[in-house]
Amino acid sequence: MAHSLSPECTPLKLEYDACFNAWFEGYLEPAVAASASTAQREAYSHRKAAEFQEKCGKVWESYRLCVQKAVKDKGLEALLQQARDENPLTEAPPPPSTAGKSSS
Amino acid sequence: MHFFSQAFDYEHPWSHVVIGMWHKYPNPKCSHVISIDVVDRSVDPKTGIIRTERVLGCKQKTPTWIVKLFGGSEDAFVREISFVDPATQNATITSVNLSLSQFATCYERIQYSPLSTSRTQFSQTAEIQARMTLWRTASDGLEKWLVQRFEQNAHLGKLGFTDVLRTLWEERQMQRAHS
Repeated sequence: MAHSLSPECTPLKLEYDACFNAWFEGYLEPAVAASASTAQREAYSHRKAAEFQEKCGKVWESYRLCVQKAVKDKGLEALLQQARDENPLTEAPPPPSTAGKSSS
Repeated sequence: MHFFSQAFDYEHPWSHVVIGMWHKYPNPKCSHVISIDVVDRSVDPKTGIIRTERVLGCKQKTPTWIVKLFGGSEDAFVREISFVDPATQNATITSVNLSLSQFATCYERIQYSPLSTSRTQFSQTAEIQARMTLWRTASDGLEKWLVQRFEQNAHLGKLGFTDVLRTLWEERQMQRAHS
């Protein structure tokens, strides 16, 4: 896995990434299967979101503090904030309109 | 304004591609990406959609005139937001440059969606636009350079991710066979 932008955050980043990946790989395929009904999906999502917090919440807090400081130190804080203000992207954008290679 | 788009298929199931997404870097074919950090992530307890905001650090040779004129440097940073929706089996990734963003924006969208149980479609579009009324030759030059760089990286990204997916899932298949 790639390094953090600050070497001092890299150990925490690697620990957090490993935690997320382990959780995600167990999450994804059952999540697709659980989408057959809304009730099933909500129950599964609820349980797995809590599990993620329980498993990775602690290392995330440490990593987040470290990377927030690194973003500030690199002078990226204002640029990141500007990008968030311009396009918050709190919801998934519509898919790109290239459904296959166009013939034009 | 410059546009770029491409689409192709990966010979892997959607879930494998989306798991592989988090293993794409570091990648010898995409050595320009040198750091990746998650700055925000949420798992929606109702919909199961995972939203991730990351900051990618890239190092790439910049033409001297761009450095001189726009005060850029070799380090460039990108903000990337991804959504993984298991219900619709869609993964979308949106990225925009943070560096040089006062002069030009490169807005990229990627989508992975299943074509069949064993194939995944990748589609990518990018809009590259100089932001201010720059002196025209300079803004054209900047856009053109960004487009060239984007096309080069898009090509390497495809090669690199193809390798990652093959290695990742071949290794795991071997492990399963031996266990």
